[in-house]
Amino acid sequence: MELSLTAEQTAFRDEVHAFLKENLPEDIKHTQTSGGHLSKEQHQRWHKILGDKGWSTPLWPLEHGGTGWSPVEYAVFDEECYRMGAPRVLPFSVSMLGPVLINFGNDEQRERFLPGIRSGENWWAQGFSEPGAGSDLASLKTSAVRDGDHYVVNGQKTWTTLGQHGDWIFCLVRTDASADKPQTGISFILIDMRDPGVEVRPIITLDGSHEVNEVWFTDVHVPAENLVGQENMGWTYAKFLLQNERIGIAGIGQSKEQLVSLRRLAAAEKKNGKPLIEDPSFRAKLSEVEIELRALDLTNKRMLVETERGMDPGPVSSMLKIRGSEVAQRLFELKMDAAGLYALPFQPEAGDAGWNDQLAGTLAQARSAPHYLNTRKISIFGGSNEIQRSIVSKMMLGF
Amino acid sequence: MNFDYSEEQKMLVQSLERTLAKTYDFETYRSQLATKSSHDPALWSSLAELGIMAMPLPESAGGFDGDHTDIALISAELGRRLVPEPYVSNVVLSAFVLNACGGENATEQLGEIATGETKHAVGFYEPGERHNPLALGTKAEKTADGWSITGHKAVVLGGDTASKLIVSADAGGASLFMVPVDADGLTVRKYQLLDGRGAADLIFDNVSVGADALLGESGQAEAIILDAVDRGAAALVADSLGAIEEIIDMTKEYLRTRTQFGRPIGSFQVLAHRMVDLLVDYEQAKSMSMEASVEADNENATARQKAISACKAKVGAVSRKFGKESIQMHGGIGMTDEYALGAYVKRLLVNETMFGDTEYHLERYSSL
Repeated sequence: MELSLTAEQTAFRDEVHAFLKENLPEDIKHTQTSGGHLSKEQHQRWHKILGDKGWSTPLWPLEHGGTGWSPVEYAVFDEECYRMGAPRVLPFSVSMLGPVLINFGNDEQRERFLPGIRSGENWWAQGFSEPGAGSDLASLKTSAVRDGDHYVVNGQKTWTTLGQHGDWIFCLVRTDASADKPQTGISFILIDMRDPGVEVRPIITLDGSHEVNEVWFTDVHVPAENLVGQENMGWTYAKFLLQNERIGIAGIGQSKEQLVSLRRLAAAEKKNGKPLIEDPSFRAKLSEVEIELRALDLTNKRMLVETERGMDPGPVSSMLKIRGSEVAQRLFELKMDAAGLYALPFQPEAGDAGWNDQLAGTLAQARSAPHYLNTRKISIFGGSNEIQRSIVSKMMLGF
Repeated sequence: MNFDYSEEQKMLVQSLERTLAKTYDFETYRSQLATKSSHDPALWSSLAELGIMAMPLPESAGGFDGDHTDIALISAELGRRLVPEPYVSNVVLSAFVLNACGGENATEQLGEIATGETKHAVGFYEPGERHNPLALGTKAEKTADGWSITGHKAVVLGGDTASKLIVSADAGGASLFMVPVDADGLTVRKYQLLDGRGAADLIFDNVSVGADALLGESGQAEAIILDAVDRGAAALVADSLGAIEEIIDMTKEYLRTRTQFGRPIGSFQVLAHRMVDLLVDYEQAKSMSMEASVEADNENATARQKAISACKAKVGAVSRKFGKESIQMHGGIGMTDEYALGAYVKRLLVNETMFGDTEYHLERYSSL
């Protein structure tokens, strides 16, 4: 048994480190490490830099622009990115849509869409959830009715992350309302968000940020060639897409980085005249979450290696998501508590590009409560932790 | 033993409830937040007319000689409606400090609080000193005709609307001074807190005040400061209870009406049992809050501090759990600004953190 990185893996980490040091723009690093919101331009600029290097779609098959990295190498890459203050490439196009097109799309679709995903030029949004279809995703109602050489789409999607920047949206739509089971009448379709009848409405969240949106479709005409795979097979593709997310789902890189910044914040704060980081009750809380993260890191890598050998990834991704979200939320909570009274002034734009209006406390303190509030979402989205537990229970306990 | 409120108290709460039901709903709250102000003069004077400011004040200042259980009842209603007005900073902290320090101007100033005419705020905390109310980085030096104050007070509740500021400073020990907001050398950085209530950082750079700015005796303010903070803590705990009751109603309703997989989500045991745990937590918190409102007036400082710390720690932990669980049970809708739940969760966070957070009070409890 050998739990540390091999010489090759260490060399790989050094290579990633050197690349990031050379190529990560200072402003992007600043916004990322300040915990602010990256602008569309910053997201796309970073995506393109990685794309030019051939690293924007590392987990894709080699022939489509993947890197051939092993899951452990990908984890090393992910952690190094966070360590260096580089943002993670958004998952919607690269981790969600890309693999679906590669596995279930046709050559024409791959030729048309994969290059724009690799370069980040096309901004893809995800249209799955609806107001009445959250945990019970299969009850979705947005309809697509075939009319000659196109579909007519009507309905509403919600929680569309960064849909305000979107060029395209991949959607689950109901193409057969009379199917026996709700899962069997669903198709996977690509919609140009600039088409007439598509309307994006912002949803402001309790931390004061605009990340998510409602997307409304009114008689939107979508060419039939934008259907991915077969009609009424969309649920299968969606399940594949969600499972495919397992690498990186535990958020290890981000949590390790949060741990570092929590320590930094606690070193700057004082309690009873000494740095907070030296306070025994704070140290006990810090150690507790640090040990949980250490266990998660090893479990994540152990499971990645085992799924490589053919272990069923289903329950693994759910387990990693459950514990990963809990660890991340705990870190943000400790950070807010460490910030003390200066967690309370509401400065939701603190750290964003161009923000220069510091009213109270340090930037880390100002970000702490909005981050705590914002990360309540990570145990809700992508299948709530309750749903994840049901998945594990069904697969491992049989009920 | 009884846990009852008097008939007068019930009538006071009813009239406050009625007024707020008519004039202050969630939409009013949202539009007030959009103005970037924690204060609406019309609402403030209608609250003053109800007598909720005068209630706990001494009769000599036009008050009704009420006690802390009155304050708790009023605070719970303000929390239930998310009212951001500076009630606690004026009627609880400033009024208590002025009354405790006495002096020739005290009655007049208390009278101004009773009518809501002049707003005050009290600043004890300092940057880098966390939740220690006895931090005294701020210094007051004796001058020929008064005092010169230099220092920084952090996150002063109500500091955004106050025209008179009461701050602690080291003048041969903890001392209290009253400083007008427009004093030369005083910078007031105003902002809103997570839930829309207002606060400010106060930065004193050789601020000159007259000899009469000193409240009470110099170097003798420690006990008053600790007492004031306990009263503020007891009021915020009651405020949290009002907010929690509202969260319970919203969450129960959501569990009953939101259907997924063809049934109300409350019929899933995993959610129902967690809701039951929250209900038990609420009852525990409520009992502690009642005790705190009685003990806030206890003249035995150790007994008072023990009760207040027990309550603040308990309600703090329960509030944190309510915030997390109510959002989780709501799912995405609980994350949105348009839905009231988030505003209540933020109100709880502010109440939890002000006047000593959970950890501070746990540690103080164990040291008493």
